[in-house]
Amino acid sequence: MNGAINFTYGFSHGVEWGWPIAVYLLLAGISGGALIVALLVCFYKKQHEDTPLLKAASLVSFVTIALGMVFLVGDLEKPLYFWKILIHYNFTSVMSIGVMAISVYIPLTVMMCLYLFEKEISTILAKKIQILGYFEMVMVLLKKIRPLIEVLSVIFAVVICAYTGFLISVLVRFPILNTAILPALFVVSGLSAGTASASMVATWFFKEDAHSSDMKTLHVIEWPIMAVEIMLIAMLFVSLLVGNEFQQTTTVAFQSGVYANLFWFGVMGVGFGLPLVLNFALGKHVANSHTAFYLSGMASVTGVLCLRMFIIYAGQTFGV
Amino acid sequence: MENDGKRRAFLKVLGLGSVTLGTAGYSVAMAAEKVEKKPHYGMIFDQNKCVGCTDCEVACRKVNEVPEGQVRLYLENKTDPATPMEKRYVRVSCQQCEDAPCVAVCPSKACHRDGKTGIVTMNPDDCIACKYCIVACPYDVRFINHKTKAAENCNFCLNTNLAKGKEPACVESCKYKALVFGDLNDENAYINQILHVKDSVRMKPTYGTKPSLRYIPVVKVGV
Ligand code: SF4
Ligand code: SF4
Ligand code: SF4
Repeated sequence: MNGAINFTYGFSHGVEWGWPIAVYLLLAGISGGALIVALLVCFYKKQHEDTPLLKAASLVSFVTIALGMVFLVGDLEKPLYFWKILIHYNFTSVMSIGVMAISVYIPLTVMMCLYLFEKEISTILAKKIQILGYFEMVMVLLKKIRPLIEVLSVIFAVVICAYTGFLISVLVRFPILNTAILPALFVVSGLSAGTASASMVATWFFKEDAHSSDMKTLHVIEWPIMAVEIMLIAMLFVSLLVGNEFQQTTTVAFQSGVYANLFWFGVMGVGFGLPLVLNFALGKHVANSHTAFYLSGMASVTGVLCLRMFIIYAGQTFGV
Repeated sequence: MENDGKRRAFLKVLGLGSVTLGTAGYSVAMAAEKVEKKPHYGMIFDQNKCVGCTDCEVACRKVNEVPEGQVRLYLENKTDPATPMEKRYVRVSCQQCEDAPCVAVCPSKACHRDGKTGIVTMNPDDCIACKYCIVACPYDVRFINHKTKAAENCNFCLNTNLAKGKEPACVESCKYKALVFGDLNDENAYINQILHVKDSVRMKPTYGTKPSLRYIPVVKVGV
């Protein structure tokens, strides 16, 4: 660097992107993750019926992404100008690309919901015969392209998870954010939060048996996902530790202060530790109980929220 | 300008003539392109001359109607506490990057490069205040203007002083000639004459954004 002359003053005074963005990143991750897992399970098991898991995942993916948009737009200082993004596309901006992806992805989640809740919607519309007629007509057409929509849903769900990582990894001023690992970490942690959310909703609302074959499959893939997630976080930390002078100074975020607590208690303790203890340390009886199931699911989601919070806040605090 | 026109006309004649001359036409075409080049405005901050009076800050706020408590331009005191008599100030403001990350990331194209001058500026009406440009700027010199609710940066007084044919407000107000503004693409501009004879540096060059703001640091040789 230029030792001769330099300035340290900045105009932003702290964290510009705060908790609403972290929550949006979580919701987008859950949305994408739930859909990816549920559809891949379907493809893998060659299921043709509408399973409770797929129902839950479709509902979760639509609700979370819609809610996420509320946080995203609400964080703008001029939320009513949001439409400007839609008419001034900038192809070098990850945010523009993300908005494009979202405007494809949301209709996809809506279609998935239509497929899986066709009966329910028909019952609601039963009194309005004419609308019901239109709805049935549309569904006949839509059903023909269902395989295509399902494949597209998986692809765009991955894009949504990954783009949220790219969105912040292009910020060169912040060593914690400016890494190639971040998009991968966001996809994987999205998968784990999405799996947990979809399985909780499937058992709670759609009366899926907690020991059904689909739930067992989820339970099996849960642990490898978690292992990869821990590995990616470790890679992020090591890359900072062995990096240049500025990258090294940021490792303080993991070692002391509020953010270190958020990381060790929130991400590691609640997110990874609690589910592991509940499922393996306290014996079969506890591991198979309903309480343990919901508790560890919620712990996973909370852990991923803490991870997003940590990355957003610690990331922007340790700038160059 | 007048001179420019003549040169262009001369090259046109040459260019037409060289069509028959074959390969010679190529090099002339290249030269003609060079003359057509847009201006590239730059600025020099000379630390040897700056006394930290902040007249430039005041002038900028006034001319550009920057709200109370906000600045486009700030003078940071970087005097070494060990040598309090050797005052050192540094100008903090938009570096007018040639490869500007703020322009690259703006989803609404509100932050853009002005078509005529190539200056990085903003269109407050298109800005949705997503703050992406603020976090993307490696120099942390953008902010949301409280009044317009749009992101803002130093744009060399593009739509104020420059539009009136004057120098930027800071340059105009500096009594010590610590600031020099001009077209880096114009070989005869005063800014280039200075850059030819003095060593200047770019701030944080490792980001590869190619700032147009140059700094001439104080270099003390012995005591
Ligand atoms: S210094 Fe920042 S605001 Fe100015 S052009 Fe460069 S990136 Fe944009
Ligand atoms: S804050 Fe405004 S100028 Fe900056 S990136 Fe967002 S829309 Fe563009
Ligand atoms: S007006 Fe000139 S001397 Fe005064 S602070 Fe600004 S640059 Fe320095």
